[in-house]
Amino acid sequence: MSDLSVSVSSTGRAASPTLPEAPAKVTVRNLNFYYGEHHALKNINLTLGTNRVTAFIGPSGCGKSTLLRIFNRMYDLYPGQRATGQLMLDQTNILDPRLDLNLLRARVGMVFQKPTPFPMTIYENIAFGIRLYEKISKSEMDDRVEKALRGGALWNEVKDKLNASGLSLSGGQQQRLCIARTVAVRPEVILFDEPCSALDPISTAKVEELIQELAEDYTIAIVTHNMQQAARVSDKTAFMYLGELIEFDETSKIFTSPSDRRTQDYITGRFG
Amino acid sequence: MTQGIGVAEMAVQSDIVDDAGPYDRAKALSAFKLGDLTFYWITRLSAISVLLILGGIILSLIVGAFPAMKEYGLSFLWTQRWAPSADPPVLGALGPMYGTLVTSFIAMLIAIPVGIGIAIFLTELCPQWLRRPIGMAVELLAGIPSIIYGMWGFFVLGPFLANTFQPFMIRLFDGVPVLGAVFAGPPSYLSLFNAALILAIMVLPFITSISVDVFKTVPPVLKEAAYGVGCTTWEVVRSVVIPYTRVGIIGGVMLALGRALGETMAVTFIIGNSFRIQSSIFAPGTTISAAIASEFAESDGLHQSGLILLGLLLFVLTFFVLAGARLMLLRLEKKAGK
Amino acid sequence: MNPIYVRRRRKDIVVRGLCIAAAAFGVTWLALILVTLLYNGLAGLNLEIFVADTPPPGSTEGGLRNAIIGSLIMTVLGVGIGAPLGLFAGTYLAEYGRNDKLTSVIRFINDILLSAPSIIIGLFIYGAVVVPMRGFSAIAGCLALAVIVIPVVLRTTEDMLLLVPNALREAASALGLPRSLVIKRIAYRAARSGLITGVLLATARVAGETAPLLFTALSNQFFSLSLNKTMANLPVTINNFVQSPYAYWKQLAWSGALLITLTVLALNIGARILGAERTAK
Repeated sequence: MSDLSVSVSSTGRAASPTLPEAPAKVTVRNLNFYYGEHHALKNINLTLGTNRVTAFIGPSGCGKSTLLRIFNRMYDLYPGQRATGQLMLDQTNILDPRLDLNLLRARVGMVFQKPTPFPMTIYENIAFGIRLYEKISKSEMDDRVEKALRGGALWNEVKDKLNASGLSLSGGQQQRLCIARTVAVRPEVILFDEPCSALDPISTAKVEELIQELAEDYTIAIVTHNMQQAARVSDKTAFMYLGELIEFDETSKIFTSPSDRRTQDYITGRFG
Repeated sequence: MTQGIGVAEMAVQSDIVDDAGPYDRAKALSAFKLGDLTFYWITRLSAISVLLILGGIILSLIVGAFPAMKEYGLSFLWTQRWAPSADPPVLGALGPMYGTLVTSFIAMLIAIPVGIGIAIFLTELCPQWLRRPIGMAVELLAGIPSIIYGMWGFFVLGPFLANTFQPFMIRLFDGVPVLGAVFAGPPSYLSLFNAALILAIMVLPFITSISVDVFKTVPPVLKEAAYGVGCTTWEVVRSVVIPYTRVGIIGGVMLALGRALGETMAVTFIIGNSFRIQSSIFAPGTTISAAIASEFAESDGLHQSGLILLGLLLFVLTFFVLAGARLMLLRLEKKAGK
Repeated sequence: MNPIYVRRRRKDIVVRGLCIAAAAFGVTWLALILVTLLYNGLAGLNLEIFVADTPPPGSTEGGLRNAIIGSLIMTVLGVGIGAPLGLFAGTYLAEYGRNDKLTSVIRFINDILLSAPSIIIGLFIYGAVVVPMRGFSAIAGCLALAVIVIPVVLRTTEDMLLLVPNALREAASALGLPRSLVIKRIAYRAARSGLITGVLLATARVAGETAPLLFTALSNQFFSLSLNKTMANLPVTINNFVQSPYAYWKQLAWSGALLITLTVLALNIGARILGAERTAK
């Protein structure tokens, strides 16, 4: 298993010539999170570099998805959940209670574990989000939809059936439709919450490739339970365990010479 | 908002992010703000209107019934005489209350075993292909308006019972103490029993469909375990399904009882509108709702107030029965882990 | 064979037989009612029913035109007033107030109103509308029907919205959609057939309601479109004709009953087909 992790990282994005340290897009300082009484995240500190892919790994229940859902305040939909500490998106304090959440979510897009196409046509799935913020002509809209679908690497497969229901696509296509939908709104950060866990290997490969392309324009955070995936797509990796951030470093370093014993145990498959 | 760096970066990414920056979005979104708030309050006020309706019902009944309450006091409850045209009018609720309780009681006596029997048939015995048509037929029976039942009872069932079933029962129990008085003649088109039978047919589908629903909450493993040790279908039903769903069945039965107590059109035609209490269930009688339905439009003054007081009694009665039913069903839902 | 087992089996067979008999009993009633209804109703069903108004006492000519049109108007208005209220209220319960104390109180009260005697609703509207307006009126009838529609639509709306997966709401929120648009554009759309089912069921419920109209809309022997006056309607007309001494009136009552029943059955079946489509998806 430790052999595998080494060989994977040597072919992945992390192995490419070391990227220069990127300016911080999102800064997390002393972040704590509670589900009612339960202390789910303990004192998290890290930064997401601009146009970099940051992966979050760790066993189930370690808090990696919870952390991701703080970046766009998704937890606000549910009562009894609260966060303390500081979380900055550029100069904006994400945890500010006066912050306009819709505005935040337009800047921080999210792709979910299961594909979530809206119950409407493929075209409408994309145009829907654009129309919220912009009044543009039909031809401009056509352009934007095409651009977004190309961005989601889906255009060639759906260009002849834009009026078919979004639900008629295969699982992998649906997930890329959701990515295209997110891109169409022109966010600055995109969060991926285990985006491939419901997909077959071929669709997974396509989505992973897409994530790497998207990193040229967006800051990306991805939660995954699949260590090879983290190694393949990310620049930096955070290992979390029981609500704590154990180790956060260059992906190549995490997978070859982790400095914490628990990280070592996890990536070699000793638990999780 | 301070977004200096954010804007600068948007500019860097200008090849893909043409011009729509956060500021445009803020403008677009502030337009939604008002709509968002309006929609929230529209839904909230609509939800609150449910409480207002309940309050309105109680208030309007109390206001309408007040003159009669003042005039008759508690003796309204145990006076049998109903003479609205006497001077002053004499009004008592005993007759309609008796009729309401007796018809509902007989109706439940018939409908509970039959309704649960159908539910057992549908969930345990019925071949798969018959399940949908029979289930559908039972549910359609529940959808037929009650006036159709009343009319059918008046033209078809009443005469049939008066000519066949009633004479048979009267002859059968002639001379038997107590029962002889309960099934006393003469046979009549218009009677408490006829009304109760129609009510039974009406509430049957409610009992069946709720029982089917609660039977479905039994975890299949429980039933499989019982079949696994060699239980017969009846033994599984009796020792697993019914104990497990007892609370839900009671809830369903009470729900049906709530319906039966307040049902109007199915009974009005065939109950006979007699305020006198007689021992025979083949004699005419009346129920609260039938009394209101047949007299209200032409009533005024104290008579009308008395009818509204009857309505208030009915509402209080059904309210408690229905509230009890819901509490029972909620308990089952909690158990099923919903 | 083991004698204990024989006894157990015999008991099982008896109970099975009883259950089958119960099912036959239930289905028989439905069949009997439908057959007599068809037999008596079809006998009088002709064009005159739809073009002539209700006859005066003793006459042997006339139809149900005024009652049919009155019923249509009052049902449409009643559903038109009650359904949006029920829809919005159900939306609040399922979308905004999921963990509210208010929600559980409203749900409980609503479930009681759902089965409350409809004649009580009639008394309520009589006190709240007819008395202040100093007269029976079609609008009072519409309001009584609306009060019956609200709990039905509220219940189905809440149930159907709760079936919409949360992931869909989260996905829409993640695009920066304000809450009201998440509900209107996404949740409503995903639950659409279920919501229509609820409205159809409510329409079926009030289409044959008689008791709440008896002393709100009353009835009217003549054709009238005024909402401020009494208005003819099928259920109350049937109610009056059934108890009359005239054979022709009784005949008309059967035909009217057939029309109502067919309408209600069609609405119910339509609602069920729509509901089944939903679950098939």
